[in-house]
Amino acid sequence: MSKAVLVDVTKCVGCGGCTVACKMWNDLEFDKSMPSHSENPKLTSKNWTTVTYQKVNKGGKQVWRFVKEQCLHCEDPACASVCFSKAIKKTPQGPVVYYPNLCVGCRYCMVACPFDIPKYQWEKVLPSITKCQMCVTKIKKGEAPACTSVCPTNALTFGDRDKLLAFAKKKIENGDKYIKHIYGEKEAGGTNWFYISDVSFKELGFPTNIPKEPLPHYTHEYLKLTPTVFIGGGALFTALSIYTRRRNEIAKEKEGK
Amino acid sequence: MTVREGFEREKKITRRRFLKILSNMGLVGTATALSGCSSEEIGGQGWLPEQYNVAGAWPTQVRGRVPIDPASPSVVRNDEKCVLCGQCLEVCQNIQSVFGYYELPVINDFVCVNCGQCILWCPTSSITEKHDTKKVKEALADPNKIVVAQTAPATRVGLGEEFALPAGTWVQGQQVAALRQLGFDKVFDTVFAADLTIMEEGTELIQRLTGKSNAPLPQLTSCCPGWIKFCEYYYPDLIPNLSSAKSPQQMFGAMVKTYYAKANHIDPKKIFSVSIMPCTAKKFEAQRPEFNSAGEYWKNENIRDVDAVLTTRELANLIKKAGIDLTQLPEEDYDPMLGEGSGAGLIFGNTGGVMEAAIRTAYFFLTGKESPKSVFNLKAVRGLNGVKEAEVNIPDWGVLRIAVVHGLKDARTVMEAIRRGTAPYDFVEIMACPGGCISGGGQPRTAVPPSDEVRRKRIASIYAKDTSYMVRESHENREVLALYENFLEHPLSHISHKLLHTQYTSRAEMLKAKEMV
Repeated sequence: MSKAVLVDVTKCVGCGGCTVACKMWNDLEFDKSMPSHSENPKLTSKNWTTVTYQKVNKGGKQVWRFVKEQCLHCEDPACASVCFSKAIKKTPQGPVVYYPNLCVGCRYCMVACPFDIPKYQWEKVLPSITKCQMCVTKIKKGEAPACTSVCPTNALTFGDRDKLLAFAKKKIENGDKYIKHIYGEKEAGGTNWFYISDVSFKELGFPTNIPKEPLPHYTHEYLKLTPTVFIGGGALFTALSIYTRRRNEIAKEKEGK
Repeated sequence: MTVREGFEREKKITRRRFLKILSNMGLVGTATALSGCSSEEIGGQGWLPEQYNVAGAWPTQVRGRVPIDPASPSVVRNDEKCVLCGQCLEVCQNIQSVFGYYELPVINDFVCVNCGQCILWCPTSSITEKHDTKKVKEALADPNKIVVAQTAPATRVGLGEEFALPAGTWVQGQQVAALRQLGFDKVFDTVFAADLTIMEEGTELIQRLTGKSNAPLPQLTSCCPGWIKFCEYYYPDLIPNLSSAKSPQQMFGAMVKTYYAKANHIDPKKIFSVSIMPCTAKKFEAQRPEFNSAGEYWKNENIRDVDAVLTTRELANLIKKAGIDLTQLPEEDYDPMLGEGSGAGLIFGNTGGVMEAAIRTAYFFLTGKESPKSVFNLKAVRGLNGVKEAEVNIPDWGVLRIAVVHGLKDARTVMEAIRRGTAPYDFVEIMACPGGCISGGGQPRTAVPPSDEVRRKRIASIYAKDTSYMVRESHENREVLALYENFLEHPLSHISHKLLHTQYTSRAEMLKAKEMV
């Protein structure tokens, strides 16, 4: 069954423990010039997840909100669909996993991702793409991803996607604490990370123009014709070629007479 | 196997291995790469503390860490050293009752009382005080600045531990000598200001007890900035109970730039006032906007009462970096005018000390008589019990009911009782750190987490000195009396109200406290 993580923005206190756990588990370097949690952190090849401290407006008052960012692990990921070397794959457990030894470095995935997640190791001679792997090794063992396991306030919850989604729905429908939107339920055709919040996702800096349809569907309609065009075209031109050759031969024979 | 044999064998294996590697790279490697079925395990293989490697999403006892305000004047954390052991959370939640005692979502603050206990619990020193040594070094190097120091009561029984002396070793004189060697122009004692605090706070208590003031009882002590911030967060309705007297650090800061500057014809703008504290919350206190009484006195808003606060550990660092061996220094005396301290002021450094000091003077103020011996060894308020209660019989006046609390979770118990109106006290001393200042967030990390054994040794050292002092009551401190005679007139005078008293701000808007059950 597909696993997922629910992020409850209202419960995050901004300790940044999740970003540290990510670095510990994935052996990522710390970069003092690129903090993983601050008012302006950046996802980089070393920061697979970040927490942004934001002053947002709630009911006319400035309040702190903390937004964790990482790969959302789409149900039907655009990055995997564009990867011709199959270096990015969607696993049945949920994580969208990147295999560096298969990557040729074309960076199509970076262009394809609607959330701007994959990052390139610009500083390396033989660079790879990097992104959150949703701790696929931990999930295989039945453990929660590293970031989720260390969260002191349960702002991150790990579980089966269906159950978590039902849980999130129940939460936002009870009372008026939350806005009535689960970010990631439908975005890009649904993701394996979703967010609930008490302020609008637009205000929190989430991209809100993401189509509801999985991105690969848009190109699938005509790209699926590729084999037909290839084989059909080949057959057509072969036939044409045989036809003209035969005609020339007949013409020559006639001349020779 | 001879060397030669070994050499040949290695050569053989090398040739074979070479072929093997070649074949791997050529055939299998290319095949797996093309087919996309590599057997390589993908995903993190790092290390996390054992409590996080559990199947499913089971709750664990210790999880995560405390949030730290990037703009905090007191504490900083280096993520590279954090191992997510959860100790900071343990002390913040279970001993100080700060984390986890407010509703989520947060409002507009990283809720923190700046006590720095997390520093003492952090096993990797990931959390430290925010260093102010650079500021102090620059001031020391500036020939136009007169750099003055005040040293808190508790640092003199802690500093030695940074130089491998046994816990609680008394190094008052060496500390003064070290500060002079570092280039401080004058070295004064916060104990002097503690005596001054007792004069003001004791007088205030008597006004409340005798009905001359409308302020409510019980009176709560106000010398601990961690506790003050806690009260402003969680008990804003009880702010009127807080003594309006400033803490000794701030009283000293106000005095050195007014009284001392005036008497010695020094331009207060030139004075750079540094305090050596066992405390990280003092860094926060010093930069509270309202603490610029000297600035108001001289009508120059750039003058702050205290310019920099160093913890005991930061001072030890400065001393070590200067190549000074504290243990080999001669004992030196404090500079006069703000340098005399009584035994009463000295015991401010541990839990129960402020109370005992206040009782010694309150007894005298109420009866006009010398305090009896029992008041000089107020056993009931000494020791490490979380909440200590006592009744002191004051002849011709009545019974004074007191309580002493240290550690904010215990403070919560007493504050809840006060809020309900079921607390029978007249006067309550509250210190944020367990054990009082001697185990404050700025003290040496002699035991991690801090142990009662170390606390007891430091406390014993302070009480031993108190017993040996000739002057053991604040109202007998000659320099304090001279200060009143020459400058302040009398306790709670108009000028002392201006310079030595303050107001508190409710922080109720910044958090939603959880309902206590």
